[in-house]
Amino acid sequence: MLKNFIKIAWRNLYKNKTFSLIHILGLTMGITVCLMIFLYITNEFSVDSFHKQGKNIYRVMRGFDPAKPRTAYLSGPYAPALLNDYPQDIKMAVRVRPQNNLVSFGEKAFNEQKVYATDPGFFKLFSFPLIKGDATTALENPNSVVLTETTAKKYFGSTENAMGKVIQIDKTLQLKVTGIAKDVPSNSHLDFDIVFPIANYTKDAGFNVWINNGLFVYLLLNEHSTQSALESHFTQFMDKYMSKDMQRFGAKFDLKLTPLKGIYFEDASSFDNVRHGDKTVVFIFISIAVLIMLIACINFMNLSTIRAVERSKEVGMRKVMGALRNHLIIQFIGESLLLALISCAISVGLLLMLMPWYNQLLGYKLSVAWNEPPIYLFLVGVILIVGLLAGSYPAFFLSAFSPIEALKGKLRLGKGGTLLRQSLVVLQFSISVLLIIGTIVIMNQMHYIKSKSLGYDKAQTVIVSIDNNDIYDHRRQFKDELQNSGVVSSVSLMSGQPGGFFDTHTFTAEGQHDVFRSRTEFADFEYVKTLGLKIIAGRDFSTQFATDTTNAVLLNRTAAKELGYTPQQALGKWIRNNGRDDKPRTIVGVVEDFNFLSLKENMDALVIAPNDDRRVAVIKLKPGNIPAALASIKEIYAKVAPVYPFEYSFLDQQFNTTYKNDIRQQAMLSIFSGLAIFIACLGLFGLASFTAAKRTKEIGVRKVLGSSVTNILLLLSKDMLKPVLLATVIAMPIGYYCMNKWLQNFAYRTTLHWWIFVLAAVLTFLIALFTISFKSLKAALANPVKSLRSE
Amino acid sequence: MAGMMQEAPMIKITNLEKFYRTEEVETIALNKLSIEIATGEFVAIMGPSGCGKSTLLNILGMLDDPDAGSYVFNDIEVAHFTERKRADLRKHNIGFVFQSFNLIDELTVFENVELPLIYTGVASAERVKRVEEVLDKMQIMHRRNHYPQQLSGGQQQRVAIARAVVNKPKLILADEPTGNLDSSNGNDVMELLTDLNEQGTTIIMVTHSEHDARYSHRIIRLLDGQSVMENIMV
Repeated sequence: MLKNFIKIAWRNLYKNKTFSLIHILGLTMGITVCLMIFLYITNEFSVDSFHKQGKNIYRVMRGFDPAKPRTAYLSGPYAPALLNDYPQDIKMAVRVRPQNNLVSFGEKAFNEQKVYATDPGFFKLFSFPLIKGDATTALENPNSVVLTETTAKKYFGSTENAMGKVIQIDKTLQLKVTGIAKDVPSNSHLDFDIVFPIANYTKDAGFNVWINNGLFVYLLLNEHSTQSALESHFTQFMDKYMSKDMQRFGAKFDLKLTPLKGIYFEDASSFDNVRHGDKTVVFIFISIAVLIMLIACINFMNLSTIRAVERSKEVGMRKVMGALRNHLIIQFIGESLLLALISCAISVGLLLMLMPWYNQLLGYKLSVAWNEPPIYLFLVGVILIVGLLAGSYPAFFLSAFSPIEALKGKLRLGKGGTLLRQSLVVLQFSISVLLIIGTIVIMNQMHYIKSKSLGYDKAQTVIVSIDNNDIYDHRRQFKDELQNSGVVSSVSLMSGQPGGFFDTHTFTAEGQHDVFRSRTEFADFEYVKTLGLKIIAGRDFSTQFATDTTNAVLLNRTAAKELGYTPQQALGKWIRNNGRDDKPRTIVGVVEDFNFLSLKENMDALVIAPNDDRRVAVIKLKPGNIPAALASIKEIYAKVAPVYPFEYSFLDQQFNTTYKNDIRQQAMLSIFSGLAIFIACLGLFGLASFTAAKRTKEIGVRKVLGSSVTNILLLLSKDMLKPVLLATVIAMPIGYYCMNKWLQNFAYRTTLHWWIFVLAAVLTFLIALFTISFKSLKAALANPVKSLRSE
Repeated sequence: MAGMMQEAPMIKITNLEKFYRTEEVETIALNKLSIEIATGEFVAIMGPSGCGKSTLLNILGMLDDPDAGSYVFNDIEVAHFTERKRADLRKHNIGFVFQSFNLIDELTVFENVELPLIYTGVASAERVKRVEEVLDKMQIMHRRNHYPQQLSGGQQQRVAIARAVVNKPKLILADEPTGNLDSSNGNDVMELLTDLNEQGTTIIMVTHSEHDARYSHRIIRLLDGQSVMENIMV
């Protein structure tokens, strides 16, 4: 009997090519999207799960402002002190300092961005497998280095050649390759190309200063110890080592532990340059997967039911010959299972083909665990759910008919059935309209952000990082030569370009009892001029005032306001950076607020002071030939830092990095809502074919009686478009609610214009109309003699 | 009539009623109809359109149940059987032949004929044997792997008859079996049915054709759901 089922299912598929194609195409697309999202989500949740000691690994976080998330950056002495003070709780403490270095071997030199300086226990603590070398001893010797496979190949051609070779770090440090690590998988928050012992830096000035920050501390707890047990000691620990600093800063520093598994989804604004995930995105993706699958299943149900009516003779005959209801139910469900199986198989093939593109869209390489059960469980689950869900309705619906009616071909889809089918179509299109609204709103918001006046001038502005000793040591010369080059209108060296790094510091201010917390910008005197900021009170830093470097400070409007002053009132008051200044500075000017942070964040207070700390050079070009100007900058860079490759970016491109995730979401959502609409239209196309076929006789009679093609087209389309119209009406308030919520992510956001909703509605409507008219037109144009004779 | 019966009739219906209801109108299809049919008989049912012929055939074939009255089949009262019990009785005892053949388009000749055996749970090897046997008898063995659309009307009806008899039913119900055939093919079909009847199968046939009806032993004429006349053929 089973063989018979499969046989007839297969022949049915083959015979009704259009329907089968719609079925399989819709389902395949649905399943492929779900698979993609499934892989993405499993990857997200599998981050760091490969570490064998993972459940006992924690990262130490330090905070000092209760309103802000803690940061992962600590300084050198924490790890040894923690290990020394709490040996009963801590088994191992490993420092990881992310840095970039010039790495050279012979002629080959690269500015490596993913370099970790770590304690020797790094490969013992974390389960990053070594292909060559011994994990326990590879980093014992301070002059050793471990490369990843790809990095080894980059310098030495092969991993065999790499072992024992000596590479140079920043032209000074000689390191011998003692191990080759497997490339870091995408599901790891840590990401490195090169690892070498931190011992090479422990004698540096500043390394052992408690207040400093620059490295992560990972702890391996003893089996019997717990996070809370260790954390209970931290107040005492901070009092012991940091009481002086805390006094000086007027703020309380505290420590907390984050379990390894929790690091990835930690608030991304903790700004630690490791990989982070976003639970909102995960949620959005899951929703999309469910919605698209739903659309595909609805198609399947509707079309199967309709198709089944055409098979009423078969159903009737089977019943006459003694088939029971459950025989037929099994048969129809079996057929949908077969379809789901075929679609799944195609989906897997499609997925393999789309993988490179998908990785590109995601921005990283997904690791597909083909040799592990979850993906197969997922596929079997999809087949069962789709097969049962989509197959059950037509199965129960059809098997309930009496054999006589079925044989006469008089199966009519009752009113109830029509209502259900219409509701399903409404649901499909509601989802599509919702996704379209979402896409338009996101695009609109991105456009808003892109075109919003940020309060500074970002045009024709080049950013060059001051990220190596050569450029740092010669930064003055670099700046002077740029200014004399004739291609540059102004240059400013600063701690962070807009959209970049703005550390929060504590201040003591005139007339304030509490410490004042503010973002800081450490910059030279050309800052205001280079960024085109507007002074709204007082004056800019100036070389005419010899003491400005040590005595002056600028505020933004928000900082003045938070101190309780109007811009004018703020002038002449003093303020002192607790960590950086020995004596107070005078507020000499106030600048208009500008969006130095991402537009997701509210305007924050900013104190601009000429303290030391130069991390980037922001270079405003003269209008004109940009490539020529860049060539000049490169030449000057090569003079001051000859061994380092010249790397630059444009300030207005900062946008792409700051809103990387949002842009990605926008791209994904556009693609997925396009797919959703397409699948929904496939269903509509099927329904339209059915309606047109069912009404052939009616159309014939109408034409004989003198109806025009237009009239018939209108008649057919009207009925089909009603559910689409209803769907738009339903989707609008839901879309409004959802997108309003999404926009809350942004401190600066566009309004939800009415035209967005109208546009979504019109778009859906037009697409649906186009789909329907295809079949309707064919029916309307048909020769009535033919259609009447066939009845 | 009753005097002719030597044993209990195969079919005995008494005061059978069947109504069709739409929202406003109630139509009586069978009006207190009583008929007896003996084992081995070949009965033709005739009458104008709408007289209740098909309704009667459907009830006799246990595809439908009456609204009132009694239907005794081989000494079993089946009037109020559940669908499952009816299906069970039907598939072992009754074969159907339709005007429009009702072959399943997606199955080959062989598979169409095989289908009833599948539902009665006959083992695969036995099925092949029996299907081949009956196809041979109907002289369509050479068409066994063709699909219904590839056959002529006469051939299709022979396949349908093969399907009806493959389970060796005691009763064959034929609903205008020659209605879609030309006269030559129609005669062939009638010869086939006569052969089957001579081998002991009871046959009840609904027909409009006086010519076809002459093949039967007895004609029951229906009008407005009642039996108005019976002709016994000699």
